[in-house]
Amino acid sequence: MTVTRRTVTSALAGTVLLAAASATVTTPALADDPLRVAMGDIASVESLGLLIAMERAREQGVDMELTFFNSEDIAVQAVVGGQADIGVGAPYAFIQNSGAPIRMFYRMSTLLFFPVVNSDVYSEWSDLDGEEITVHSRGSGTEALMRLMEKVHGIEYSNISYVPGSEVRAGAMLQGTVNASIVDAAAFNLLQEEGGGRFMRLPIDGVNATDEALFANTQTLENRAADMAVFVEAMEQTWADINEDPTIVATLRDQYGLLADLPDNAAAGITDYYTDVVSNGIFPLGGGSADDVRDDMAFLAAAGQVDEPGDDFDPGTYWDFSVHGN
Amino acid sequence: MSITSPAVSAPIWGVSGVLTRFTQMPLTWKILSVVLFALAWEITARTGFNFSFPTFTQTTGAFWEMLTDGSLAGAYLRTLQPLSIGLALSLIIGISAGVAMGLRHEFEWFSLPVFIVMQAAPMAALIPLVTFVYGIGMTSKVIAVVMLALPVIAMNSYKAVRNVSPSLVAMCQSFTGTRWQCITQIILPASSPMMFAGLRLGVAEGFSGIVLAELLITPTGIGDLITYHRSIANFGHMYASIVSIVLFAIISVGILQWAETKIFRPEKRGV
Repeated sequence: MTVTRRTVTSALAGTVLLAAASATVTTPALADDPLRVAMGDIASVESLGLLIAMERAREQGVDMELTFFNSEDIAVQAVVGGQADIGVGAPYAFIQNSGAPIRMFYRMSTLLFFPVVNSDVYSEWSDLDGEEITVHSRGSGTEALMRLMEKVHGIEYSNISYVPGSEVRAGAMLQGTVNASIVDAAAFNLLQEEGGGRFMRLPIDGVNATDEALFANTQTLENRAADMAVFVEAMEQTWADINEDPTIVATLRDQYGLLADLPDNAAAGITDYYTDVVSNGIFPLGGGSADDVRDDMAFLAAAGQVDEPGDDFDPGTYWDFSVHGN
Repeated sequence: MSITSPAVSAPIWGVSGVLTRFTQMPLTWKILSVVLFALAWEITARTGFNFSFPTFTQTTGAFWEMLTDGSLAGAYLRTLQPLSIGLALSLIIGISAGVAMGLRHEFEWFSLPVFIVMQAAPMAALIPLVTFVYGIGMTSKVIAVVMLALPVIAMNSYKAVRNVSPSLVAMCQSFTGTRWQCITQIILPASSPMMFAGLRLGVAEGFSGIVLAELLITPTGIGDLITYHRSIANFGHMYASIVSIVLFAIISVGILQWAETKIFRPEKRGV
């Protein structure tokens, strides 16, 4: 009898819990509420462009709020659940696998990574056939890029090791424990400065992949269309200004009092960083197009993160271009 | 109200009779509980209340896929290395320290506060600090397991020794037993059941430690399966990985509990 009661009670409790979870209703944001932006990381020098655009939208009467989460996945969940209006990331796999009604609407940056090898050991892509490489993590952009190059050059790595952090991988290369990896611009500069000419960059041609985009719930895109238009206009203006004159970022940071706690050495590097990224063309203008979406899908499919797009592929499944009219 | 003749009903039970016997079996209720839970899961997921919540069938399908393609086995092989090393260390150090604290007041005053602090501190907050000292390799993960498992094992061993009946010790002394004989033949056997219970709790904590380490330090083994499938929004596989580690922990702790009953608790063997 005890067994019966306990079993039935536990089953009922489980059912009630699940039912309660299913009854959770998210409240849509009202028009007067601020547009809440969810980032999957804390704001840093790289986020200044977005922060400036938010300030400019605020000047145009659209109140904006920024929230930081532990990872991009949580930012996506916040947008899906209605706790945030706009997310920062590139949630292609999430949209494909979950069918959630979120759409990207502004392409902020393209992927910029540097495949680097120790030139004492390797000198071109074909040398990496049957060799071990090191990337950031499984499912990361760095892995996707290296996987794509594996396909493009018809080679096969013997193993892929995962070491999070470009600076950690660069350190391992300097120590000689890693001979082939992929790092970001800062770590590549470090390798060039400290490596004594030992490290060389392998070419990556024809890769056009989104690093970060803005995305929102379709309901928010519809209900807050006017506010979104103001924000997107501020983004377009800011991106155009940065591309024209990268030094404007440091000036506008002071003007708006952004990232006030930034250490002096990091603040001193703002102009160098933006000059570097602008010269590498990773702050695209125009906010994204259907062709960019196809390139993104081809890139991610090569890495095994999404299914290969078919002939009937519809970019509208992932993007809403109506906000910036592309 | 009709009365059925026992001569007829005894050899061939009616439908209700079979049902009655069937429902009296504890296993039936356990299976029914699982079925109900699975059904509730399936229905809830199908309502589409959350885009990241897979159905029960998707999850079991993903579980089977990972089982057959070897990814689950490979992940467990990697997870088990730091887990088993960490648990072995916790066992040796924890029991030794616990027994020493139970026997010697000097040792108790010296090390008990450390274990109390370790047991009370939120270890998830401290694990990232371990990486500052030991990096991101196996050592950090072993330490994470030890940080969670060791205090429980040590504290239980300490209490087990402390709670040995003084009359048993007095009896040993009255039979002119030496201190060593008292410890090996009276105190340790008398405290073993509670120590074993501590070991069971320690193993359960060890599982928490390894999962935390694999999620917070570097994604390897089962932590890698969870983070990877989460990053590519493969929720069926992510849930299957989580369910698998929960089941693995339950089975491991269940086996220890069974062993504990068999070895130390004859009154519970049902003999």
